[in-house]
Amino acid sequence: MTPSPAVIRLGFIPLIDCAALAVARERDFAAQEGLEIDARKEGSWAAIRDKVAFGLYDGAHMLAGIPLACRLGLGGVRGDIIAPMALGFGGNAITVSNTLYDRLLSVDPGATGASKDCDPSRIARALARVIASRKATGEPPLSFATVFPFSSHNYELRYWLATEGIDPDRDLNMGIIAPPRMVESLRSGWIDGYCVGEPWNLRAEAEGMGHILLTKRDIWPCGPEKILGLNEAWAKTHGEVVARLVSALAKAARWADRPENRADLSEILSRPEYINQDATLIRRALDLGRHMFFETGATYPWRAHGTWLLSQMTRWGQITAPADLTAVAETVYRPDIYRAALESQMDLPGTEPRILGANAGTFLIPGANGTPFPMAPDRFLDGGIFDREDPVGYAFAFPIAHPTLSPSDLRP
Amino acid sequence: MSGEDLSILVIDINPSRAAVVEAGLAAAGHTRVVTLNATTNLAARIEALAPDVIVIDLENPDRDTLEQMFQVTRAVQRPIAMFVDHSDTASIRAAMEAGVSAYVVDGLRKERVQAVLETAVSRFRTFDRLRKERDEAVTALADRKIIDRAKGILMKSKGWAEDEAYTALRKNAMTHNRKIVDVAQSVITAFEMDL
Repeated sequence: MTPSPAVIRLGFIPLIDCAALAVARERDFAAQEGLEIDARKEGSWAAIRDKVAFGLYDGAHMLAGIPLACRLGLGGVRGDIIAPMALGFGGNAITVSNTLYDRLLSVDPGATGASKDCDPSRIARALARVIASRKATGEPPLSFATVFPFSSHNYELRYWLATEGIDPDRDLNMGIIAPPRMVESLRSGWIDGYCVGEPWNLRAEAEGMGHILLTKRDIWPCGPEKILGLNEAWAKTHGEVVARLVSALAKAARWADRPENRADLSEILSRPEYINQDATLIRRALDLGRHMFFETGATYPWRAHGTWLLSQMTRWGQITAPADLTAVAETVYRPDIYRAALESQMDLPGTEPRILGANAGTFLIPGANGTPFPMAPDRFLDGGIFDREDPVGYAFAFPIAHPTLSPSDLRP
Repeated sequence: MSGEDLSILVIDINPSRAAVVEAGLAAAGHTRVVTLNATTNLAARIEALAPDVIVIDLENPDRDTLEQMFQVTRAVQRPIAMFVDHSDTASIRAAMEAGVSAYVVDGLRKERVQAVLETAVSRFRTFDRLRKERDEAVTALADRKIIDRAKGILMKSKGWAEDEAYTALRKNAMTHNRKIVDVAQSVITAFEMDL
């Protein structure tokens, strides 16, 4: 008789990058590892964080910033969550209302959105001119929303704005809205634009509610996005189950990356228990090629991603008590678990690059077993360079930054 | 401060549950309780109310929005932290299992806020229990209708008295380890197919 499968309680938010979790359940990758994933759909990142931090769930599909913020007690909740794997790159985009889009084109007819050849710097300059003219005429500041204070979306949007001199904290209202509510908020005129994962950008375009201005790829192609966040105490006592879970999710992510599986993947994700949106819309998002689920290390928990996120939390004044940024990232990001689970089954990177941002094209790094490991372009839109050994120096070097601490508070 | 009544804001998508929580807080002596169901213009309303404690259902998608407001000091005047005491994991878990989350102004006396939280948790549980009981009552009524119909069919087709029909259903259910309502449904289905 087969032993009954180990049941793992995993939370998720209806977004395309919950694909690995959905596919692991629906295509037997979990079952082959003797696991049953009890998937629980949630409506907010706060609920995901609380339930994993306090052990109501064993883990969840979550924003990469959540376990870092949670470890530092930012946002009111202190909890120990680890990230033994990532859940893909890409997928976010910045969408603005029709009104704002028309206004951008009126100041610069070449500032067209992502559907055409997109120049993110040119669009940001046009936005800066719109902001200046609104100030001059006494109009209220524009409002932009992202999905969570510690989300990649928040940091990407801010990064892009600041490259052309827009200070998100002084020149705009920056708010937070849960992904499934974005389109409605744009429609009601409550916000002028947002940065969110798919399908919530294509949905706004499909309904004629807005225009996609640019995508994550235009800002920083392989930045951190979602991770598998596990309750640390649970993971410690379930080491073997964790390894099987990482294995199941990595295989599911590899399956999800294959173009020949896109039709099936769209159908799975469209189901009511997952995203509950039209399969053709999801298919369109996948066909745009903005999502990377597995290839080029999209499931590897790069520690540099953790330190980069912490550098942005520092830059924007979210970290308010002294902390050793590098140590926090090393506690949360757990490539050791990822490697142990997969080294006998898959090609793995040999070492983690120290520098991010130096490659405009695909490149190779040494692989764990001697075979070179392919990596995707990692260039920032402004050509910036991030050295993971010095997240503090990086955070304080931006001309637009609002840190609340001094550099010495953030080093060992 | 000690004699002053806490200002409490209850945010819940479910207006009936919000009313139950509000009534519970009122019964516990709190007079400054406001409930919000709609979430438009949340920042302005919170700023106007300046609540000491915000009780919000854990699943509410607006919690992400709310937490951002607490970080932006110009939106809410005083810093707010979740739950009373982070070391009290048991009470936090109990609240979460009941579906309650809360935000409180820093520096309030722990016991005062704890009492509010306990009232909210107990009211959420009461609400859930009442809803469950109501659902069960609805199911029970539907079951009885099915059983009555099956009894009617048996009485007519076999010429049995009502208690004989019921005994037959019950006996069959016991023999096959099924619910009486399921046996009754089979009788109805069989009868309908014979037509």
